[in-house]
Parts: sequence; structure tokens; C-alpha cells
Amino acid sequence: MRPSLPPEFIALHKRNRIMAAFAELTAEKGYEATKISDVVKRAAVARKTLYDNFSGKEEVFLAAFDAAVDGMASRAEEACASVEGGWEAAVEAGLAGLLAYVAEEPAMTRLCLVDAQSATPASVERHEQTMQRFIELARQRLPREGPLPETVDEAVVGGVAHILSRELRHGRAAEAPDLLPQLREFVVGQYRAPLTKGAGRGR
Amino acid sequence: MKSLPRGRHGLSREFVVQNQLDRLLDSIAESLHEYGYDKTTVSVITSQARVSKSDFYRHFTSKDQCFLAAYDDAVERLRREVLGPCAKKDDWATAVVAALEAVLGFLARNPARGDLLFVEGLRAGPDVYARFQRVVHSFVCYLSDRAPQPAAGGAPGDCVAEAVVGGIASLLSRWVLAGETEEIEDRLAEITEFALTPYLGSAEARRIASRDA
Repeated sequence: MRPSLPPEFIALHKRNRIMAAFAELTAEKGYEATKISDVVKRAAVARKTLYDNFSGKEEVFLAAFDAAVDGMASRAEEACASVEGGWEAAVEAGLAGLLAYVAEEPAMTRLCLVDAQSATPASVERHEQTMQRFIELARQRLPREGPLPETVDEAVVGGVAHILSRELRHGRAAEAPDLLPQLREFVVGQYRAPLTKGAGRGR
Repeated sequence: MKSLPRGRHGLSREFVVQNQLDRLLDSIAESLHEYGYDKTTVSVITSQARVSKSDFYRHFTSKDQCFLAAYDDAVERLRREVLGPCAKKDDWATAVVAALEAVLGFLARNPARGDLLFVEGLRAGPDVYARFQRVVHSFVCYLSDRAPQPAAGGAPGDCVAEAVVGGIASLLSRWVLAGETEEIEDRLAEITEFALTPYLGSAEARRIASRDA
């Protein structure tokens, strides 16, 4: 007989398996074509287990979305917090954490960055709130001593999201970490103080 | 767009067909802008365009197909607007400013097509989103061709250029979604600074943005 695991552990594990299976199927065939019957088969859980945890398809989608956002954000934030040095090192570490998560969880991040944009009105709204969350993060953490345009954070977050969703759509999640030098340069360059004196955005 | 006179008008068959097609594409863009995708039915499109349903089905098999045709048409219109002023400038930075100015001008004058490109393009489903991303990619060359090599380090890579264009596209879709197309041309300086910074550094980018934009 197998040693029994605590029921809460098993319940959580099943919940995660359902979300992961959902994300994989969405990546393969899109949100519309993803059926609950396929999800329970892929996750190897009973149909009842799915409905004990979620009210239906959209709720699984949104829960997976939230889990992916938490995964991306916490990986980026932990990486930021673990480095010594200035904001440039923090940006690099944060991006490295984000890219590592993309490489490890291609289906979950794809659901978040690609599929959520068009799946349902609630997912569209969630996607927008998430963009806003990362914009706020950039606004708080990055230097802002000179007259930077108000919208620089929105443009930077939008640019990074565009690159990640492009890579995910092309099935290149595993190579995402290779983009670190360029993405770092893209982000840091926008906030770096001008080298020359004069009409620039001083620090 | 006005419908053609009825009865005998001596216009060629190709002219009439092209005119119908243009009216249908105008109509679907306007109708999406006004009513959204679900309420934009074939009946709405044809009655606004003053084209019969049977003529609609001579051009398209479905609303979705008409939508994709209107999407591609809007992309080509935008591209034509960008190419003209961009090609006239010898200097790289001035050409980039002209291209950005042309994009903003297009959105200010064509809010319905802006909606189609930058809001529906993201929301209408995975296939259209893929199309949107290809369009963004196809505009990268207007920034990266002839771009200067920065003094320190190598040239910004392809990914940086793509991130800049993707970042601008994301700003534009936020502004279009917020219905801010009337004031959108006031944004030229900030997107110019954003676009030029990776190539020229922030001081020079800002100087050009405040001079030309």
C-alpha cells in the first residue's frame, strides 16, 4: 500500500494538474476548441473533481491565468531582490527570472500572454490588469529623476510582452533566455541617464 | 462612401465591383467601431454599404472573411501612409519621425480603421492576433533599416527593434481603446523619443523629439 499523502496536498496537486492540462490544450488548439472532457482526460482526474474545483471552462482558464501571472511576477521579483547592486542589475535579474519561467512553463505563459487577449471578455480584462500591474512595477522600481515621458513604462512593458508573446506563438519558449542581453538593453536603455550633458533627461 | 448611380451609367464592370468592395470594407470597419463584432452582421454591413446581400456573397463567403479582408486593407492603407513621407527623407532619424507622424495622422483621421487594426487585431481571436504580430514585424524595417550604429557597443539587435515597434503598437492600442484618437497626434514627441533612444541615446533622442516632433 502506498503511503498516504495529506488530502489537502492531493487536492492542490489535482487542481494544478487541471490548470496545466488546460493550458497545454489551449496552446495546442486554442481556447474555443478546448473541451472539459479533454482536460479531465489529460489531467487524469474525474470530471467531478474538476467541477468540485471550478465552475466551468472559463474559471479554469482564469485560475490558470492568475497562477501564471503569479509565477512570472514572483520569479521576477525574487530574482530582483536577490541581487546586490543598482537598478540595472535588478532589471537584468528580473528579466532573467521572467525568461526562465517562460522557458519552464511555456503553456502557462502562452495562455497568459497570447490566448488571454481574445478568449473571453473577463480574460481580456484580466490581461489588461496584468499589464497595468507590470507597468506599476516598472514605474515604482526604475529611476525617474529626469523628465522621462509618462508613457515610457507602458511602452517598455508592451515591448517586452510583444517579444514574449511572439516567441511563445512560434514555439520558441525554450530559447527565451537567450533574449536576455537584448531585452536588458531595450529596458535599461530607456531609463539610462544621458551620457552627454545638456538637454537630456538628467538624473 | 457614396453608392453609384442606379440604372445605366456607362461605368465598367470592374469599376463597379471594386467600388462595391471598397464600400463593404468601409462599412465593416465603421460598423465594428460603432457596434462591436457581434452586432456587426452581414445585414448591417450590406445595408450601410448599400450593397445587396447577393453582391456581398459574390465578394466574401462570410463575415469573418470580410473582416480579414478589411483588416488587410487597413494595414495596406496604413503602410501607404507611412511609406510616402518616410521615403522622402534622406536622414534616418527624420524618416523615423515622419513615419511615426504618418501613423498618428492616420489614426486621427481614421478612428474606425485604428480600432480594427489595434483593438480588434488583438481581440478577434488567435488567427487575427497572429496577423497583428506579423504586421508589427513588417513595420520593424522602417525603424531598423539605415539605423545608425551607436558609438559604444554593437548595434541594437533585431529583438530591440522589434520590442520598440511592439511597444509603440501597445501604446497605440491603449490610446485607441481609450478613444483618445482625437488628441493622438500630440503624442508624437514621446513615441519619437522612445523609438530613437536605443540608437542615439536618450539625450539625442530627446533633442530630436523636441525639435521635430
